Amino acid sequence: MHGKAVVVGVGETTYYKHGQSPDTEFQLACSAIQRAADDAGLPISEIDGLISYMDQRNSPLRVAAALGMKELRWSSTPWAGGGNNSAACVMEADAAVTSGYANYVVAFRALAQGQFYRLGSGYGIAAGMAPEGLSWGAPYGLMTPAQECALHTKRWMHDHGVSQEALASIALASYANAQRNPRAVRHGQPLTREAYHASRWIVEPFHLFDCCQENDGAAALIITTPERARDLKGKAVPIVAAAQGLGPDIGANAFQQKWFPGMYYENVGRMIWERGGIKPKDVDVLQLYENFTGPVVMALCEMGYCKPEEVDAFVANGALEGPDARLPFNTSGGNLAEAYIHGLEMTIEAVRQARGDSTCQVKDVNYSLAVGGPGYAPGSAILFGAAL
Amino acid sequence: MPRLLGDDFLVPSLTPHNKPYFTAGSIQIQFCKDCGHAQHPPDDLCYACQGKNLEFRAMVGSGRVESAVVVHHSVHPALKTKVPYAVAVISVDGAPGCNVMGNVVGCAPEAVKIGDRVRAFFDEVKSPQNGETLKIPNWERAAS
Repeated sequence: MHGKAVVVGVGETTYYKHGQSPDTEFQLACSAIQRAADDAGLPISEIDGLISYMDQRNSPLRVAAALGMKELRWSSTPWAGGGNNSAACVMEADAAVTSGYANYVVAFRALAQGQFYRLGSGYGIAAGMAPEGLSWGAPYGLMTPAQECALHTKRWMHDHGVSQEALASIALASYANAQRNPRAVRHGQPLTREAYHASRWIVEPFHLFDCCQENDGAAALIITTPERARDLKGKAVPIVAAAQGLGPDIGANAFQQKWFPGMYYENVGRMIWERGGIKPKDVDVLQLYENFTGPVVMALCEMGYCKPEEVDAFVANGALEGPDARLPFNTSGGNLAEAYIHGLEMTIEAVRQARGDSTCQVKDVNYSLAVGGPGYAPGSAILFGAAL
Repeated sequence: MPRLLGDDFLVPSLTPHNKPYFTAGSIQIQFCKDCGHAQHPPDDLCYACQGKNLEFRAMVGSGRVESAVVVHHSVHPALKTKVPYAVAVISVDGAPGCNVMGNVVGCAPEAVKIGDRVRAFFDEVKSPQNGETLKIPNWERAAS
């Protein structure tokens, strides 16, 4: 076991439907960090590292100034993609504290899609010209992650005879688990298989309920060493292993035959099992980022949970629903039904499971795994052990 | 013919990498003159031998549908009256490993199937950037 770094605090704002946050994105970011510091029992001035990902608009310098940090010894962001980095940001924090370059590092993500553009709205293209990277698809109306992932999923389902019911089972599991979680935006709104199939198509094979929500909110984790954590009140959760993978750059690259169809999780899986010294069946509870349900079933297979030809049976009959599921999965409701804070809320749920604090708590958790967004490289994953 | 999604819908901003594809009136794929590797999208370096001796070559303009999906939800104001439409990933004959993206037009969007043979055609529009004539490739089904 690695265990030289721990998560010692987690913080979240209220999660809102997109556009409904009364706070600005920057206020959300700072609130989540303050709450994580409170959870850890750490004076916020002691935080000395900040990490986020994708188009995080809240620069570490602005955050450090606003929160009164005394030092900023580490600031970084994992390159490329988006939610694929929801585990890699914690991996970087691990590197920062185990190297000794910083003492208390925050990994955070804030989104106010009302204040800024919606991630699902065609990468925010409004004008009449598509920049080079988007030019290969946008003139043809191929301009959203849903459409990109649908093209991969459609071919993969075709090649392996995977049914629409496998996708439905992912959505149903996330929604079922969200009904136990009062923080979930979709709490109180259970989903049936009939309602899933009756919902409108976004882009085939994705119905409305195959797609993650778009939300406003922020999430933050504080990472330090076990020695420092001993002096703090926060329940420390060890990082057993982490991995970041290889894949194509975003856009047309992802559709080349070398990578198509694929989600870029074979390499991440191989590394996380090797570094953790475990196999998929040893994971007690799994959080697997749903941008869309198709990429989830593909990533499950790439990581070695089952073969594509077996995935229909693997996810069927409630196999992923509830704390006693065959594979407890997305226990907070995930991006589909809790909130889409770019997956960092799912990394927090993995920590909560290791602490024994989930609203869908699995018994005797030794290994709690969070896997970042599939379909956009580099993929990432982080494996937590039981709280110290 | 008019562009499927409207002549004034998003057009490519031209760069040395994408200008051949969108102006030549043929399917232009980048090849390495040293090792013969074909790659798409174009880049500054050959991904096979790391050489810099790259050129664009015209393909015959046929291909195969590798995946196709029907878009129902409009994500751009100009597309509200255009959905549903089909977007496809198409392997390019003569360019091993290379797939391009496009629409498949001339049939119902749900009729486009993996394995369909397709042929390129080119929509001529003026670029709002500088008035240059663009010849934007798109695809229709061909007899197999």
